Amino acid sequence: MSNVRNNWANGLNRREFLAASAAAGVMAAGMPATARAMPKRGGTLRFATRVDGSGLDLHRSLAYYVSNPLAGITQGLLDIDQKMNIVPGVAEEWEVSKDLMRYTFRLRKGVEYHDGADVDAESVKWNFERILDPAIGFAFTRSSLLDVDRMEVDSKHIIHIHLKRPSAVFAGNVVYYPVNLMSPASVDQADTNPVGCGPFKYVSWKRYAKTELVRFENYFETGEDGKPLPYLDAIEGYPKRDDSVRLTSLRSGEVDLIENMSYFDVPDFRRDYADRFNTWDVAQVGGAHFNINAKSGPFAMDAPDGKLLRQAVAHAIDRQAIHEAVFNGLSEATHSYYTSASPWHMPDVKPGPEYDPEKSRFILRKLNMENMPIAVVARTEFQYMRNGGEILHAMLMDAGFGATNEVFDNPALRAKYSKDDWGIDSTATSYRFEPDGWYSRWIHSQGDEGKLRVGFKNERCDQLIEEAKLTLDNNLRKEMYTEVDSIVNDEAALICHHGVPLTTAGVNSLKGYAPAIAGPYSWSGGGIRTAHFDDAA
Amino acid sequence: MTDLQLRSRHRTDRVAADETPFRIHMRRLRSNIGNAFYELRKSRTASIGAILIACLMVIVVFGQSLATHDPIKSNYRDRTAPPSAEHIMGTDKFGRDIYSRVIIGGQRTILISMAAVAFGLAIGIPVGICSGFYGGRFDSIIMRVTDGFLAFPGLLLYLLIVTVAREWKLYGFWNDAILVFALGLAFWPEVARLARGTALVEAKKEYVEAAQVMGERSFLIAMGQILPNCVSPLIVNATVRLGYMILIIAALSYLGLGTPPPTPDWGSDLRAAQDHLESHPMIAVFPGLAICFSVLAFNLFGDGLRDILDPRLAER
Amino acid sequence: MLIYTINRLLQLIPVVFVLTVVVFGFVHALPGDLIDAMGGTESIDDPEVRAALEKELGLDQPIVVQYWLWLEKVVQGDFGNSLITRRPVATELLERIPATAYLAVVGIGLSLLIAIPLGTIAAVRRNSITDYTAQITSLIGISIPEFWFAILSILVFSLYFNLLPSSGYVGPGEDFGLSIWYLILPAVAIGFRQAAYTTRLTRSSMLDEIGKDYVITHRSLGLSERKVIYKYTLRNALIPTITISGLQFANLLGGTVVLETIFSWPGIGLTIYQAIQLRDYPVIQAGILFLGFMVVIINLLVDLLYRVLNPRVGTGT
Repeated sequence: MSNVRNNWANGLNRREFLAASAAAGVMAAGMPATARAMPKRGGTLRFATRVDGSGLDLHRSLAYYVSNPLAGITQGLLDIDQKMNIVPGVAEEWEVSKDLMRYTFRLRKGVEYHDGADVDAESVKWNFERILDPAIGFAFTRSSLLDVDRMEVDSKHIIHIHLKRPSAVFAGNVVYYPVNLMSPASVDQADTNPVGCGPFKYVSWKRYAKTELVRFENYFETGEDGKPLPYLDAIEGYPKRDDSVRLTSLRSGEVDLIENMSYFDVPDFRRDYADRFNTWDVAQVGGAHFNINAKSGPFAMDAPDGKLLRQAVAHAIDRQAIHEAVFNGLSEATHSYYTSASPWHMPDVKPGPEYDPEKSRFILRKLNMENMPIAVVARTEFQYMRNGGEILHAMLMDAGFGATNEVFDNPALRAKYSKDDWGIDSTATSYRFEPDGWYSRWIHSQGDEGKLRVGFKNERCDQLIEEAKLTLDNNLRKEMYTEVDSIVNDEAALICHHGVPLTTAGVNSLKGYAPAIAGPYSWSGGGIRTAHFDDAA
Repeated sequence: MTDLQLRSRHRTDRVAADETPFRIHMRRLRSNIGNAFYELRKSRTASIGAILIACLMVIVVFGQSLATHDPIKSNYRDRTAPPSAEHIMGTDKFGRDIYSRVIIGGQRTILISMAAVAFGLAIGIPVGICSGFYGGRFDSIIMRVTDGFLAFPGLLLYLLIVTVAREWKLYGFWNDAILVFALGLAFWPEVARLARGTALVEAKKEYVEAAQVMGERSFLIAMGQILPNCVSPLIVNATVRLGYMILIIAALSYLGLGTPPPTPDWGSDLRAAQDHLESHPMIAVFPGLAICFSVLAFNLFGDGLRDILDPRLAER
Repeated sequence: MLIYTINRLLQLIPVVFVLTVVVFGFVHALPGDLIDAMGGTESIDDPEVRAALEKELGLDQPIVVQYWLWLEKVVQGDFGNSLITRRPVATELLERIPATAYLAVVGIGLSLLIAIPLGTIAAVRRNSITDYTAQITSLIGISIPEFWFAILSILVFSLYFNLLPSSGYVGPGEDFGLSIWYLILPAVAIGFRQAAYTTRLTRSSMLDEIGKDYVITHRSLGLSERKVIYKYTLRNALIPTITISGLQFANLLGGTVVLETIFSWPGIGLTIYQAIQLRDYPVIQAGILFLGFMVVIINLLVDLLYRVLNPRVGTGT
């Protein structure tokens, strides 16, 4: 029944749809109603992450990593479940007008910010306006609301959002990550003492050392025992950058939960430590892709042999080798952004040029471009991007290119993008849960990221992406995206090759926890929200 | 090594009245080198160091012939293989031959360190000697500039320079050149101070005055007369510094600012091997040992040299 | 002495000036557009937004003007706000300095505890087994890459023996006992390395002293060897050891980046390194300037101390 909650059902009328949504919301609160004992309340979860937050203001944060402990403070208007369906959260119902120009959200009554203020329509309007302020809203956050034209407060708990252009996908943009709610009264202390409406309250943040959060006693979701979630009393977050150190801190009992395990530690750890620790895979937090510079130079969309050369690159790519050497057998190789773990997986996508370095050599010989230079670039901070670049470099050399390999930190790499000073980029992007966030931003010829970092242009794709944005039926949208991906694969400007896995590990006594695509905190009916310690285990 | 230690490291010897300045300093240089070889055989530390350094030099000179495989040729079907007849140190995560990478990486690392030391000396020595020799306002300005550079926290200076350099489209050789520049830039103030200390003392000596009386141009005096006298402390300092630079390069690699792969590099390879530390510890062993070995070699040799070249220590 | 001190203090002004120029120059040569860097992984395309941000940050001014405006504020003690956390840079740094200073002080202290006895014994029993062991250990100590030493020590002491916490920081003000517990591994990593240098130094300055005339005189007066060594020689020999340790302390303040990264030690080195990666210009500038200033000041103090302890040194250099 879970699929009924979103737009997956074909031909469900609006009223039925809303009723189903509301019902699902109630169900979600008490989901695993098995015969076992009630979850025990209390306890402090010590959580080690790879990165630390970069600021407290919920609307300005530069890198609001999904797993940052600070993310427990806040929440979006809607929620997301483990299967990536958009489900009721702070707003318990929503409705879109026939012309797809107006969204109406009915807020749940009794939802509070941590300072006791109601999460009402006025405050949502205030939040969205603050995010839309170019001087404040973080670009990623802001871009998800750019379709908003004006907001109209109907009553205390009803808000109408009028869009600039029709969209069937707007609801997916107001979930947590990107859009977070904070108490309007707390605006003056946004940088020092953030006040959100999430399951945990802010206590302190010592950058690079420790984050402390405590349970928010008036959180709107209830646990199995009928009292408000979360079960845990507090969270302590510890950023530990080095993967092996983070893992050691779990094994030696200093922390209870770690995220972002090194892919190379996962299999052995799972085998040797199963009696003491659990591991959870988020099969896909994002997609890894190689972007060829199709904006200018020999691989450009309008270069005479551009397509052929790009296909020569695609022929050089051995996905199986990447799967083993870069991802150590985790997740899976793909020919589109979504792996089979995603509800948006599209099995009918036509793969691009198959792995055959001989063909690459043949093309290069034919064009008399053997050993043509191509600069592989990657970001320093992410191991899989670096390793992806390194293996891509090796494969390109095997296929007769004269490749070079460089790594840069983020600002330096962005400078390279704007100067078109790169050949092929080993990169990855994490989800926006709404696929339009991927297609409109990366594949559409006017998409901001695609324009800067790929330069792919295809009229048919643009048309399909725009059409999909106006389609409520997700199955129909998948058909459209299947066609888009097949074209993208054939053009070989943006080569999706693998899902990005994320493995979390924790002590066995931690129950009721499972990470989701949305990170460890905010997904409906799971995550740290419902985690509890069970010492008997 | 600071100026406090080195302040007293210049040699003093008696000068026969009838010797020409040129002869004097040639004699000193000759006797220095001659003594050095003699002492070298006597000092156990120095001779062990010298043997180890000789091994390193063999790698530097004959690296290409010693390597059994192309160090960047990956064979990702044959990853993390244990040592075998084909790959005597095994293969790394992308199936590259570790032995060849250690050899060629060592060649690069040592050459970079040597070039950086040479660069530091090339700037530091003339600046320091002139500063000490001319004195006055020139000296004050130079010394303030060196102080300013010395105050710059070491590793962060490298971090900044290497990050800045990433902006320029540099591959292969030029990438190494930046490293040489960064390491040398941090080294020259130390050299300048050392050289200045010696120059200050030597400039007051009779033979320098004699040369001045004979009308030699002052810059030539400074270089020709004073330089040989500060050779000893500088050699010691430079040798120890070589080892230190190898460690700095490794530290930069740890922070993700080392040589980008697939170029073989001890530091980067050691860093990369950390991912497989528990499942395949052997991958880390060889680059790690290579670093320790060469740093040890330079330190041993530097230590031995110090004992030999410092007359006050040699007396005992 | 007073005149010398005043003179040295005056000399600091141009040194610090050179430092500000170098810091500002390098930081502004950093690649990547600052505005883009503020956008994190996203690009900021909106020209209106860019213009507003540029104006706010003063980036629309020529570089010399920017430098001057910055210097003017720095002289008044205003380092601006972090571009990333939007908190005052002074707060950002002041929070971190105690962690690094704590680590550096204990690390150096530990190194002296190891180095002085070891170096002394090595010198007194020159060419004995003890001497060789001390020399070889200290040579190995400075030959291991520090990140490697740190990772291995975590594996051994934290994972296999489960004796010490792998990483993390507790301030000595919060819980002193616990803070020591967290401090041991990183402090040993520093201490071991520093001890390697200091042992060698102690040994050679001991040898230096033992060879001096006064020692021979004392010996000929029939004083016991022990008394000669420990009462007279050691005291003099320690002057260079202590002064050099002071200089090492100054260098350590900015030199623990790698260890801070591995041990999740929220110190100033880690902060500046992260600020470089995020292009948080105000933090980088203020941080490096602060560290440089500390180096200059500590150098001065060490130099003055050296002169007090050892009046034979002239004031020529």
